[in-house]
Amino acid sequence: MKKTRIISTLSTAALVSMMVIAIPTAAHAADPACDGKLTVNSCQGVTSDSAPYVMQVPGNFNGTLVLYSHGYRPNVNVPAGIPGYGGYTVSNTAQPGPIVGASDTSVISYLLSNGFAVAGSGFARQGWNVDSGVATNVELIGLFKKQFPATKHVVAWGNSLGGVITQALAETHPDLVDAVAPMCVADSINAELTAAGDFLWGVKTLFDPTIKGGNYSAGAAGYGEAMGDLVKFFTVIGKLQAGVSTGAWPDTSSATGKALAAAGVPSRSALLLLGLMAGLPTQSAHFDSISGPDGALKVTFPLAISPALAILENGANAGALAILVMHDLENQTGGAVFDNTKTDYSARVTDERVIFNAALSGNTVIDALLGALSPLNPGAPRAVGSSSAIAKMSSLLSYTGKIDVPTILMVGTADPITPAGATMRIANAYAEQYAEEMAKVVADYGKTHVFVPPMKKLLTIWSTTPAAYTTFTSAGAPITTTAAAPGTNHCNFTAAQYLVVAKELTTVGSTGSFIHGGTLAHLVRVAKNLSTDPFFSPALMKFYTD
Amino acid sequence: MIGINRRLLVASAVLATSGLVISTVPAQAFSPRAEVGVTATSIKLGVTIPMTGAASPGYNKIPSAMKAYFDYVNANGGVNGRKITLVVKDDQYVPTLAVAKTNELILRDKVFALLGPLGTANIKAVAASVNPARRGIPVLFVNTGYSGFAIKKTYPTTFSLFPSYIMEAKVMAQYIKETFPDKKIGLLYQDDDFGVDALAGFKQAGLTFAVKVPYASGSQGVSGVPATWIQKLSTAGAEVVVLFGVTSATAAALGTAAVMKYGPKWILGSVGGDATTIKALGVPVGVLYGAIGASYLPAPTDTTDDYIKLFQEINAKYNNNAVFDNNVLVGMNGAFVAVQAIAAAGAKPTRKALIAAIEKKGSTFFGAGLAPLNYSATNHGGYNGYWFGTYSPTGEMKPNGGAYTVYTTDSGTGAVVKSTYKRPAMPANGLPIK
Repeated sequence: MKKTRIISTLSTAALVSMMVIAIPTAAHAADPACDGKLTVNSCQGVTSDSAPYVMQVPGNFNGTLVLYSHGYRPNVNVPAGIPGYGGYTVSNTAQPGPIVGASDTSVISYLLSNGFAVAGSGFARQGWNVDSGVATNVELIGLFKKQFPATKHVVAWGNSLGGVITQALAETHPDLVDAVAPMCVADSINAELTAAGDFLWGVKTLFDPTIKGGNYSAGAAGYGEAMGDLVKFFTVIGKLQAGVSTGAWPDTSSATGKALAAAGVPSRSALLLLGLMAGLPTQSAHFDSISGPDGALKVTFPLAISPALAILENGANAGALAILVMHDLENQTGGAVFDNTKTDYSARVTDERVIFNAALSGNTVIDALLGALSPLNPGAPRAVGSSSAIAKMSSLLSYTGKIDVPTILMVGTADPITPAGATMRIANAYAEQYAEEMAKVVADYGKTHVFVPPMKKLLTIWSTTPAAYTTFTSAGAPITTTAAAPGTNHCNFTAAQYLVVAKELTTVGSTGSFIHGGTLAHLVRVAKNLSTDPFFSPALMKFYTD
Repeated sequence: MIGINRRLLVASAVLATSGLVISTVPAQAFSPRAEVGVTATSIKLGVTIPMTGAASPGYNKIPSAMKAYFDYVNANGGVNGRKITLVVKDDQYVPTLAVAKTNELILRDKVFALLGPLGTANIKAVAASVNPARRGIPVLFVNTGYSGFAIKKTYPTTFSLFPSYIMEAKVMAQYIKETFPDKKIGLLYQDDDFGVDALAGFKQAGLTFAVKVPYASGSQGVSGVPATWIQKLSTAGAEVVVLFGVTSATAAALGTAAVMKYGPKWILGSVGGDATTIKALGVPVGVLYGAIGASYLPAPTDTTDDYIKLFQEINAKYNNNAVFDNNVLVGMNGAFVAVQAIAAAGAKPTRKALIAAIEKKGSTFFGAGLAPLNYSATNHGGYNGYWFGTYSPTGEMKPNGGAYTVYTTDSGTGAVVKSTYKRPAMPANGLPIK
């Protein structure tokens, strides 16, 4: 495989949301400019915090607004030539709905053609922006209702960071939304930064100690350091890819890494351990950890090679995000926000070291790697964060998982950026909430003799990976030029999968009742690679198991 | 796990069992319903096991042996009138595939319970990802001796059948100390939880080694690697070598040692000495000659044993007269015990009732095993003892001293003692249930 192949797998489409609507820059906060077309009336404007927005209202408007929040966009330009993100320029262009792939707007079209209005903002600032995102959305809902008084219901949905904004909006303003659908929802910034940051720290510590990995300088110097880190990170990822089959270590490896290499530790085992420590999925866009090429590697490949390649693909996403988010958060908080001085990486992999023992090359190798990464090894210095910066980061608006309005969650079971465990945390929180609500109903029954069970307000949909999907050339080499498999990559949903959520969201938002039973089962089956298995319970992010 | 407390688990269970999918509960939901995988005439079980691939030789004979015994039971009326079916999924010994196949068994095939999944890593992967415990699905009589699966708190719906590897190491240590008190002892072991259990047992028993050689699972098939093991053992002057690994590692080690003219007294763990598997791997079974082995089951060639005799008859009629080896015996014995568990779950078996029945009555179950079963409300461990034998030139293991002398112990600090357990005779009709 060539280096460019892995880079091509990066799921930038969802992370760096595409722009679909061009808007004038001179729009006024309280006075959206509408084109007045009868089929779809398109309005544009900016909120009081200078966030551009767009509203699209069909002629047969049924009274329900579907408000969308886009995902994370870096808040700095990324110079051309840097893999994955090269050529990105900061944009706050408004986005009224999810885009499938590069440009498929069929989900938005579906909503409009069925009488739903859509709206979305580009937000006032990019980067991690939950506080401003919620404020913008609150204002946008008011602007929409003022402009379109026939509005009866408002439902909200969003991807990734937009899922966080959506859930936070529902928790802080349940009176403003009738239903929400946070999709591929990110966890708290602490949990996200822990996962991505741990992987980046591991790559720096073993494979290229010249990667700064955070604690960037202020201003232009820090920007240059972060961009330099992106280049180095992707370079070392390419070298790791080249050494997967042989176990060779990158020539940029640290003294600690070189000592491990000299001891016979394959680089792929080190890479896999870093991914497992961070909690990254062991299935990725092209590697299912199940399939092997015909011949001698039929079993060896999925057992010993494929998990490392999956971590390579997923880690490329996670590590790059770590650099960009860390740079952003450090600018927001005034100091280093990643700190792993107290992290016990051995405890993180108690089960994983058994399950992936063969790929990790056995307990002796695992113990050598964990020993090399321990705080006792001066050759693996831990990252020390700024307590004030971390406190400031922790004070940023997030969500608790409390559910007051009907909610639909959807996430890929092998999403490397917003792991399914983030969604599971909300589901767990709701399970406890529902138990309390039920307990109250039971307690009240003694007084009222009326038993009305509380409504279950949560539907969780898992976007699952196919039974097997790694493909091979006739020579036995894995093919990585195909589209990412369902359930993998970040927010990698099909239009059909989005439509399941859209139908649920608009139905429960306007009627108060979910689509359920056979009708839901039919929708799920037709959309493919979805599951509503109530017992599926992915592990929480490692931040919560430390 | 931080943030997950008992209250939450209970709440999760309530939500899960009532269905997170929002729906009005139909009135008929309150009327008695049959358990998943159970009809008036059938009970469906499922197993994931390596049927193809490098790890499959030997293990791939277990499902057909289980099926053969179930066919025999079915032909004799079934269990409470229900015929048992077994859905077999090939996991190739790959954990991620085991997860996928187990999901299929549960969600698509809708099995009542899992029976006899094989491999510590696979079962742990399934426990973590599929979570049978959260679903209340019994995982019966796993084909591994990893001690952790007997711990109810960690794996509340899982039951072991093999004695634990810790027990095996403890019993083996006592045997070695008594039999080879002045010899230099070497250890070749699989470098995962299998080996961790072994090391714990040897340490508990106070056995020390002159040399310990770990091997990563799968490396036995890598050209040149087994030679490095033999070199290390030989250089250390090990006169007695304990091999705590799978049969493919035994084949590689003994075959390579023969080539390198290294001839210690080999002592093989219970899962590493199947002669037909060694033969299938292309290594002459003669390499086993003189080695010591351990087992909790009678020798599969021992036709004086009434269990072996009946199982061989069933094998001939229902299993295409497959070569009757230890894997066939393990399969049939697992099915034999499973039939008792299902019967004990009552006329209208549920998953919950099945688990409760094993906890309550499991210590009275019996089978070909020469040690007792130890199930209780707090212990999900099965057999607890071993006997030792010596391999013949044709790979048959004959009990040392001419009779099975079984030693039992536990996975903790308990002593190794000579067993007084008297195994019930095989019922005349071959059925352990009425």
